[in-house]
Amino acid sequence: MERPEWAPADVDLSRPSVARAYDYWLGGSHNFEVDREFARQAMAAVPDLRLVARANREFLHRAVRFMLDQGVRQFLDIGSGIPTVGNVHEIAQQVDPDARVVYVDIDPVAVTHSTHILAGQPNAVALLEDLRHPEAILEHPETRRLLDLDRPVGLLLVSVVHAVPDHDDPYGLIKRLWTALAPGSCVAISHVTTDSRPDEMGEGTRLSGRTNTPVTARTRAQVEDLFAGLDLVEPGVVWSPLWRPESPAEVGDHPERMSFYVGVGRRR
Amino acid sequence: MNDRPDADGIDDRHRPGVEEFVTAWATALHRAHYVPITAEQRHRIVSALAERLVTAVLTDPVRPGDGQRIGTDLVAAGFGSPEALGGTIAVIGARLPAALGVAADPTRATRLNGLLADLAAGFASAAHDRSLREQDAVRLAALDARTQAEEALRVSEARFRRFATHDQLTGLPNLTRFTEELGRLCSAAVPVDRVGVCCLDVDDFAAVNDVLGHRVGDLLLREIAHRLAALTDPRIGLVARLDSDRFAILVRGTTCAEDAIKIADRALATLAAPFRVNGTEVPLTASAGVAEGAVADDGATLMRDSEIALHWAKADGKGTLRRFDQDRSAADAARYRLSAAMPAALHRGEFTAAYQPIAALRSGRLAGVEALARWRHPQLGLLTAARFIDLAEHTGLVVALGRHLLEQACRQASRWQRIQPGLYVSVNVSVRQLRRNGLAGEVAQILDRTGLPPHLLQLEVTEQAVIDLTGVVTESLAALMALGVRIVIDDFGIGYANLANLRSLPLHGLKLDASLTRPAAQPVRQPGARRPGTDDDFLRTVVSLGHRLGLVVTAEGIETAQQAHRLAATGCDNGQGWHFGRPVPPDEITASIVAQRDRDPVSRDTALPAFPAQQR
Repeated sequence: MERPEWAPADVDLSRPSVARAYDYWLGGSHNFEVDREFARQAMAAVPDLRLVARANREFLHRAVRFMLDQGVRQFLDIGSGIPTVGNVHEIAQQVDPDARVVYVDIDPVAVTHSTHILAGQPNAVALLEDLRHPEAILEHPETRRLLDLDRPVGLLLVSVVHAVPDHDDPYGLIKRLWTALAPGSCVAISHVTTDSRPDEMGEGTRLSGRTNTPVTARTRAQVEDLFAGLDLVEPGVVWSPLWRPESPAEVGDHPERMSFYVGVGRRR
Repeated sequence: MNDRPDADGIDDRHRPGVEEFVTAWATALHRAHYVPITAEQRHRIVSALAERLVTAVLTDPVRPGDGQRIGTDLVAAGFGSPEALGGTIAVIGARLPAALGVAADPTRATRLNGLLADLAAGFASAAHDRSLREQDAVRLAALDARTQAEEALRVSEARFRRFATHDQLTGLPNLTRFTEELGRLCSAAVPVDRVGVCCLDVDDFAAVNDVLGHRVGDLLLREIAHRLAALTDPRIGLVARLDSDRFAILVRGTTCAEDAIKIADRALATLAAPFRVNGTEVPLTASAGVAEGAVADDGATLMRDSEIALHWAKADGKGTLRRFDQDRSAADAARYRLSAAMPAALHRGEFTAAYQPIAALRSGRLAGVEALARWRHPQLGLLTAARFIDLAEHTGLVVALGRHLLEQACRQASRWQRIQPGLYVSVNVSVRQLRRNGLAGEVAQILDRTGLPPHLLQLEVTEQAVIDLTGVVTESLAALMALGVRIVIDDFGIGYANLANLRSLPLHGLKLDASLTRPAAQPVRQPGARRPGTDDDFLRTVVSLGHRLGLVVTAEGIETAQQAHRLAATGCDNGQGWHFGRPVPPDEITASIVAQRDRDPVSRDTALPAFPAQQR
């Protein structure tokens, strides 16, 4: 399973990439036909998948703004995917031009694209790394260069933890990540579930097996466990539209259809 | 956008309904497409776009491109989805005509229509461009990712290659790398005529590991590697660690073997200085084998030859170097082949005995015969024992071979009793046979089977065999004596004769080595020195020593009648040598017994064997 440390990442363009499919669901064109084919199949199973993706993306931005309000000025975005308009560093640097962001993804194309976009951007960087190797991420020279781990960090695990199967111990991985961070650091997690739409989301989850990052859906209790050891901020683990919406009108009639549990925890 | 000199529109822009239009448009856009901006930011963007649109509707004539630019800017603001365009057209169509009083002014209606068409066109064009840009970007990213992955692969392959071609402990190139480089030099593409391989091995390194531990052993290996790598000579192509304590130096551009030998010499010299590990001095020696040849030679052959030479250096006492030599190697190989063929040859009955007469010196009559091993080799012909006994001794086959010969000799001697009663047979017994348990039992069985009386079997053992009288040897000799078998010391006088042992052994006789019976070289005379004894003095002394101890003395190597007379004069009992007859097949012995009897019928029954029947 484990690649030898010197083995390079695989660039297999014949397999769909979830990162590029996600870009397609958000209306982007940073994708190939193989990705769109997968994305359309998933949309056949979950017709409002674009809204699901959008609600998840909206949560990311609200979480980042929340952390900025808490004084967090450096972010570690793991599973950052294909960069589209409104990336974390753009939002953060609107508040503080010196804000720092380290993007991490397992998808080599997503990372090179991010690197292109970040060219000439001294305070943001994209790394090719795996959530399953927390120390490799934390000890990476670029992480060390940009992030001051003695000060609070915003750890963003948005739509990524469900790519880690139970046997890779996502609970332990998350804890290893935040224990390396200073008190006051925040952890945002959004996670796929089949709790509300077992049939449709179950099929979507099954389809993800074709990609390089198959999905493990989890229950609300399991998602809450991912925050073990952290102080969950209000309103706790909720459906993605329900987490601190800008206005009640944004929530919609059926937030549970968005099929993502989200939450933010703070390190004591 | 509100800096446009358009007096007509200024009031209309603030007409009631326009603000509601902005709110409706922003809502429609937000519903259609997510852009990560706040509601306030969204309102500001939409408000500016609406203002430009309203101004354009109220301005006569419409400035070309205004509508298109609004569509383009809508996409640029992030609202580039088809739903965003649909929502925009719907809201404009539903709200703007009423807000701007289009019904009352047909020119405004026309301008609005045209602007809408331009906006849609500008939007579509910008969205298309955006798609193309994103496609380019993602293709470029994929291409770069591939290039980077390939580069990473190259780096990892390079690392893997280093891992595969270098020894991890010492950092030296390993056998793989050495073989590769040797092969490269031996390929015609490289302008080097001759190459040399020096194979080095630390002597008794296993003992270092055993006594001082592997950690110290590893430190020593590193230091050895360091010293070898520090040798400077333009001819040294590569220093490698082949395995455990074995190293190799590749010498390039040699003109002769001497060039490679010089480097091997220097390598041994640099290892000769004591090593210090953790404050302890560890002296080491190493052995080296050198092979050198033209590059046309196979690299693998050079490698093998150097290892063969290394074996020689080890066998010749270690701490030295040997150069590969084709003749020695061929002889080794021949010996090996011979050695390997022996078990099957024994099985096929290719080993036989030849018999050499032993004569009583006083009468000149046949007293006994010595059985000597012969190998009727299918290709090499009849081989004497000198060619194969050492090999058999080395492999241990000598035990089975000795048993086989003993049985043949006893059976033959038993037959000869019919024509010459009392004729004895003398058979060599090897050290290995003597050191095994059960030799006496085997001999007893053979005597039983062949019917030879025990006192007519004489076993010859070397001085070497009895130098170390361990329990088994003494027991064997005592048991053989108890059987009534005679035991003599073979090749007496040239080995490490242990007189103390002779005293305690149940011996029957001595066989003097041929070198004692031949005339000695002229002794060196020193002024005032005591006159050295003559050859005859020596012989008389040795013979009388034997007789004093009650032993029968047999002289070997008698080649002339003169020698026979001289020895007879010393009182020596028996003689053996070409003068009395060479080793021959048993038929010839039979023939000579018959001839002797015919020549001298009177003494037929009184012919005395050299050994009295009842001695001691």
